[in-house]
Amino acid sequence: MTAQSETKRAVLKGVYEDNLGLPRSFNGKRSIPGYLALPGQRRQGGWDSSGRGSKAMLIGLVTLVALLGCNFRISYVEGFGADFRRVAGVPEWQPLAAAAVPYPSFGLTPEPRATLSSEFAASHALGAGVDITEQYDAMLSHLGIPVADLFNLKVHTIVIDPGHGGYDPGATGYGGLKEKDVTLDIARRLREKLESAGNHRVLLTRDDDVKMRLKERVTFARENDADLFISLHINSVPEEAGSVNYVETYYFGPHTDDRSLALATAENRDSDYAMGDFRAIITRIGDVLKTEESAQLANAIHTRLYSNLQRVSSGIMDAGAKTGPFVVLLGVDVPSVLVEISCISNQAEESRLGTPEYRDRVAGYLKLGIVQYLKRRAIRDKQDGVNTQYVAQQER
Amino acid sequence: MSPSKKDNMLYVGIDLGTSRSVVSASNGNRKWVESYVGWPKDFVAKKMLGKRVLFGAEALEHRLSLDLSRPLQNGVLKEGTERDEAAVRELIDHLIELAGAGPDDEICVAVGVPAEALKVNKIAIRNAVSEHAEKLMVVSEPFSVAYRLGTLDNAMIIDIGAGTVDFCIMHGTVPLEEDQRSLLFAGDYIDEQLLHLLSERYPQADFSLNMVRRFKEKHGFVGEPKRRIKVEAPVEGKFTQFDITEEMRKACERPMPAIVETAIDLVASFDPEFQESVRKNIIVAGGGSQLSGLDTYLAAAMKEFEPCNFTCIDDPLYAGADGALELATDMPEEFLEKL
Repeated sequence: MTAQSETKRAVLKGVYEDNLGLPRSFNGKRSIPGYLALPGQRRQGGWDSSGRGSKAMLIGLVTLVALLGCNFRISYVEGFGADFRRVAGVPEWQPLAAAAVPYPSFGLTPEPRATLSSEFAASHALGAGVDITEQYDAMLSHLGIPVADLFNLKVHTIVIDPGHGGYDPGATGYGGLKEKDVTLDIARRLREKLESAGNHRVLLTRDDDVKMRLKERVTFARENDADLFISLHINSVPEEAGSVNYVETYYFGPHTDDRSLALATAENRDSDYAMGDFRAIITRIGDVLKTEESAQLANAIHTRLYSNLQRVSSGIMDAGAKTGPFVVLLGVDVPSVLVEISCISNQAEESRLGTPEYRDRVAGYLKLGIVQYLKRRAIRDKQDGVNTQYVAQQER
Repeated sequence: MSPSKKDNMLYVGIDLGTSRSVVSASNGNRKWVESYVGWPKDFVAKKMLGKRVLFGAEALEHRLSLDLSRPLQNGVLKEGTERDEAAVRELIDHLIELAGAGPDDEICVAVGVPAEALKVNKIAIRNAVSEHAEKLMVVSEPFSVAYRLGTLDNAMIIDIGAGTVDFCIMHGTVPLEEDQRSLLFAGDYIDEQLLHLLSERYPQADFSLNMVRRFKEKHGFVGEPKRRIKVEAPVEGKFTQFDITEEMRKACERPMPAIVETAIDLVASFDPEFQESVRKNIIVAGGGSQLSGLDTYLAAAMKEFEPCNFTCIDDPLYAGADGALELATDMPEEFLEKL
């Protein structure tokens, strides 16, 4: 079969899978195996034999936190949203020429834009008899635009967190390559690329082969006023799963499947958080800005990483950008993602990860995703100006 | 094109566009219709028109008697509008009729839709088509154009339609969502701008949106004009000649900065090693590709960043439907039987 007819068949298989609603395989060669959605996946490395009791407890704890956070947010917002409309008796956020406003770039279909009516503002002024915290929350839940855009928030400091380190090697490949070494090298390369690409301060949670507990990583990000937090990891799958290789990216939220939960449990080992810490952390789960921007950041990084890795890592699959209950993401109160770059348990992938050229490519793809996210932020700012002009022009 | 796999299987490619919808079938039928669907407003209109539903130019001609729908305005079915969903069903029904299917034919349809509609309305469109077809695929318009042209790897398609400009990078697989972008600065936007500019310059003349659309389709250009453009429009009932060269240039060039910016951004998000080959293989399709001087204009605009090669396709009207037809006919039997 010629290369062209292979490409054509791959494309046709892609169309077929799209139309059946199947998960897309890479180049039509392989579908995501069913095992990926199965529970109980075990990561390789020296940290999996820590006792079933403690593991079960940690799973329970993480699940509880995720569910508490989720329920807290949903019930609070929905409950208040209903009260707000009834009690206040004022118009909701008014859509501003939603269908008529074209976006000049990254345009897609315009999201309904929102503005606050003066009537609403007046009735919700301080002293109007409505609790200011409730007003704030009502405003966020009815906003219709990203909070970061509303307050024109910028990104100054990016913290990159190379997973594992020191006596914690993370996952280990069949050839002996260790996750901790790969993540550190990619993080250093990523720092260099990001520094040369813009005016951001880029910091690593660890710049050496040292052990850092998750809590220390979170503290590092907070103390250094991180605006973005990106945790880098390499995945591993059990031997019985075969030579599967895939990319996945997480931001904080309830687990989307049992595999995410199992992975989060493994990555949350040694978190060093006390029970009491969680109460304060849970209050931050509902942080609208963090959730919105983390999702955007995760999607931008994931899509660029996956679409480019396809070319250089034969057969790599897309396990998606999704939510997962990772403690390191929970603790950081700025947009944060955890990237599982690929699977070191795949021998060919381990060989690739062992070369500086490949690690440099991966760092480059991660940079593309981060830069894309930052550019979208910048363009969203610019679009606001353009849209305002357009609306003004239409109104004239 | 590969032969039909079953004797009684009719393969049909449909390009469901904002402005025009096109059908191309394996029996050789190729037809197009303007994407207007109209139902008589009342029993008088129905009796006068003698039809339950009218399409395209005929619907436009009798628009005052009709409840008229252009279902893919802005490239998407408006959410929750049953009338637009019904209009898509009618349009598909009409296109399959135009394809000339026999009563015993099994029908395998591939439908190309604006990229944004594929994201937002895929299920609604599938439902509309599934009433008429045994086998069904829905793909994005720029992708079906790429398939027609065989540019499946290291290429970018810019499909300038009426409702949207769709961008799609091809890299040897079905494009992912992030490989595609859409802008609303498209043909309809140019028409609105042209009407606005002409109304400002010649307030005494009666220009309509349909008139300026025809002017654009006949004389639209970007860059330096090759000749003066003179058209006629009524002034107090009397047709008078107007020079609209400058207004035409301004209106047609207005979407260009957004198109250039998006193309640059989409290429830049790609692996740097493959960016150059993509830049050298940018295909411009859709009705907008017929703007005179477009390839030269875009190449000059992109030169500021990196040199690019733009090619405007020869047959923009049928490229999408022909590509969809090829997809349907090329689909291997083992896949087709499960669709």
